[in-house]
Parts: sequence; structure tokens; C-alpha cells
Amino acid sequence: MAEELAFTPVRELASLIRDGGVSPVELTEQCLARLDEFGPTYNSLVTLTSDRALETARRVESELAAGRNPGPLAGIPWGAKDLLATSGGIPTSWGAAPFSGQQFDQDATVVTRLESAGAPLTAKLAMIELAGGMGYNQPNASFTGPPRNPWDRERWTGGSSSGSGAAVAAGLVPFAIGSETWGSILSPSNNCGLSGLRPTYGRVSRYGAMALCWTLDKLGPLCLTADDCGIVLEAIAGPDPNDPTTYAQPFTYDADYDPGRKFRIGVLKDATEGAQDAVKVNFEAALDALSDYADVEEVEFPDLPYIQATRTILMVESASAFEDFIAEGGPAGLTAPEDHYGPYARTAILASDYIKALRLRGVIVREVDAVMSGYDAIAAPTSLTTATPIDEQFRRTLTGPGDVIGAVGNGCGLPSVSVPSGFDSDGMPTGIQFMSRAYDENVCLAIGRRYQSLTYWHTRHPADLV
Amino acid sequence: MAERTGKSLEQDLMYAVVKEKYGHLMNDEQLEEVRKTVVGLSSFFTPLRAVRLTNDIEPFSTFKPYRSDDNG
Repeated sequence: MAEELAFTPVRELASLIRDGGVSPVELTEQCLARLDEFGPTYNSLVTLTSDRALETARRVESELAAGRNPGPLAGIPWGAKDLLATSGGIPTSWGAAPFSGQQFDQDATVVTRLESAGAPLTAKLAMIELAGGMGYNQPNASFTGPPRNPWDRERWTGGSSSGSGAAVAAGLVPFAIGSETWGSILSPSNNCGLSGLRPTYGRVSRYGAMALCWTLDKLGPLCLTADDCGIVLEAIAGPDPNDPTTYAQPFTYDADYDPGRKFRIGVLKDATEGAQDAVKVNFEAALDALSDYADVEEVEFPDLPYIQATRTILMVESASAFEDFIAEGGPAGLTAPEDHYGPYARTAILASDYIKALRLRGVIVREVDAVMSGYDAIAAPTSLTTATPIDEQFRRTLTGPGDVIGAVGNGCGLPSVSVPSGFDSDGMPTGIQFMSRAYDENVCLAIGRRYQSLTYWHTRHPADLV
Repeated sequence: MAERTGKSLEQDLMYAVVKEKYGHLMNDEQLEEVRKTVVGLSSFFTPLRAVRLTNDIEPFSTFKPYRSDDNG
């Protein structure tokens, strides 16, 4: 298989496979070889799942030989963040040394669905330990080492879906699955120059995924294009009796969605406050690029403590999810020194504060939806900075009023797609996110797709890997 | 001044709870970091607590009675 297929989007690969131009087995072997060669370079690989991947690829090849059309993801290799359970003796480490040998008897629903769609699982990918839930503040917080960015190995990938970001950005797999409690899909998408989709809460079953915060955790794809995110979402979304929070309606990706008018985009007041110059410039240029297709106006959410409400829920639920691990001194075995003590303070948070946050959440979802009902999406820089150095405390580099859109989006469970919006003078990617109302993935994906039809940022890849 | 005393007292009590339950798992340096976090948390909750909610506003989560033979 030709090397240039390494950065080929899912939709094109599917077409090549269908037309017989690419063999699923050869494509899978190619990805396995690249994962093996480059995965360690970026500390992005935990476990190569070669036998399992080739078994799926051979099945797809047989179906193709029999004249069947096995679907848009058939034969497309992928990688899973290592918090998705896999059976068959494949470890699921949760990125953490104390769990590095952990095994499960069942597969996560997302794994089952992708394999049923014919997508070979090639690797379990690195992640920040326990999805960053213990309070890490610098990149060296995984038992596989600090996650290095394919655009510059001295910068980090973002987290916590670090290996998922690095593997797609380095062309090791065409897509990967990550998870987001607060920022863990969008941050690596931003830092690695990828298209990443955080679906609506409940859109994708969490069954078999490590629980960090039951009411905040979402699973979603990191891809080369917004269009690919839609293709993958359709395969993994839908109700699941094993996860009672899943939305009853199935999701059908509408790759041709068009509102029949200009998109209406709101830009949060002060969205770029504290942002690096390049982030600011690229964000404004992105909105300019969309001006023929979108009406853009400034918008404000009502004055409510969004960050406090979402953060309180996150702190309390994560402390509860890992209660035994914390009580038994498990954090001492984690990689990041700050994770050794990080989770303890939150165990003393009062129940009254948690309940207040949950009550406030009901107010927030309604207030936010009232604002968002006037727009197709709210736009903001995905991150105020490009990827920061691998040995730097990234929270120190955060400035401005805080991640309000992240608090709103995750606290309200809203979908958001991040797409690359350009580069800074060091050649590091910047991102723009479009966040839509609950269950409107087709809307934010359509805006991301439209933007990518007007720009070429998503077609750029690290020069040494192309 | 009285409010500051109240907040300080809360911080002391929160820290005492953590230290009592988990102090044996951490060294002095780590405990000091925990104390700083507790102090920060106490202030962090101020805007949350300041919001007044009416009696009818419930937590935004649904409790559902359960029986194994109920498919609805």
C-alpha cells in the first residue's frame, strides 16, 4: 500500500476499499506497521492489537470478495483510547500504572459497534492517567510517558485523549476514539491540528468505558475532517440498554445538511480574551472565511457560575468514582507527582455544594438553550493557546476568564466540533470550535464541513511524516 | 471579619476531615498542597453558594423507581 494513504480521510479510504483500490488487510497491516514504528516516538501507543485487527480486516475482505457492501467504515483501521474495555486478554490500562495489567471479559459498546461495522481495532492508545481526573497540571502524567505532539515533539498533545490525538495527527490510524469529561477530545484536536467531535451527552454509550464522572463523560471521534467525524459518529451512536443514559433516537449522519439559509453563529463576548495573538488572528480569519455562509454576531450567556457548577460536579463524581482507589492510597502509584495528592481535597466537598451544583445545572441548561436557540452554533477558539512545551505546567499558561464555553458545553452536555483554523509562527496548529444545541451534531458538523471546504488547514500534516 | 472567620473555620474543618481520613497516605509536603487546595476550594464555592434557587428547582438528574419486571 502506498505511504501517501497514511493521511487519507475515512471517506476517501472507504471509496478506495469499495472500488477495490485498497485491500483492507493491506491497509490494516500498513497502520499496524506505522503504529509500531512511530507510536513509541510520541508515547502514543499502549498495546498493538494486531491479531484482532487482522481478523476483522480479513472478514471485511471476504465480504467484499463475495460482492457485499459492508459499509462506510469497513476495513478502516482505528485506535481506541485505553479506557475502552477490550476482551480477549488485551489490557485496558486507563493510562495509569496501577491499572496497567487490568483486563476485562467484555468489550465496550463502542468497540463492539465499530468492529461490527468492519473497522479493525489496531491499537489501544495512550492517555493521561485516569483521564486527567486526579488533577494533573503538566503533560508527564501517563505511565507510557509524556505525550509528544507530531507537530513538535517538544510540545504536548493536549489531553486526556493524548494518544488518540497523536496517532491520527501522525497518520498512524485514520481515526481514533477519545473521551471527554471536560476538554479531553477538543484539547488534543486543537493541539494536534485535528477535527474532533464531542457528541451530545448520551449520544454514545459509555458502557465499558472507564467512568470518571457519570454525568459528564462522553465518547467521540478524532479524525482528519469534520465529515469523517460524522461518519464515525453514526457508527458508534444510538441507544444501548447497557447505558441507561443513552438517547433513545438513533443518529443518522446527514453529510448534505444545509439549513437553506446562512448559518447563524454567535461568538461569545470576550471569547478571545487572554488568547495568544495567533489564536486570536486565526479565529477572526476563520469567521471572515465563513462570512458568505454565516451571519456572525456577539452573544453573551446569562451571568451564572458555569465553571463552578461544572467543576464541582466533576470533582465530586470523580472522587466518588475512585473512592476505594483513593482511600487505599492508589494515587501514590500514579506518574504525575501532583496526582499523588490531587484527589484528596475534593473528598471533603460538602454534599450541599454538590446538590447545589446539580440544581443549578437545571437552571443553566435552560438558560443556555434559550440563548442557543437563536443560533446554529456558538463559535470560540478551541483553546486560547497552541500546544505548550512538554515540560511546562499548562495550567500556568491559561489566562483570561477561564474556560466558560468548556464549562457550559460539558456541563450542559452539548455537542461541539473543533477544526484546525491555522498555525502560529512556530508551525503549531490552532483550532476553532462550533458548539450546537443538544442533539444537533449534524448542524455543528455542517459548519465545520463548510469551513473545511473553504480552507486547507486540515490537509496539512507534519512534514517529517508525510 | 466575621465572614472571614467563618470561611477560615470551614477551611480548617475541611482540611481536618481530609487529614483525619487520608493524612497517613501523604507526607508533610503533600499535605501542605492539600491544605492550599482546600483553602482555594472554599473561595471557589462562593459564587455557587451565592445563587439563590427557589424551592421547586430540583437537581437536574432523574430518579426512577425500579423493579426487574418493569420494561417501561
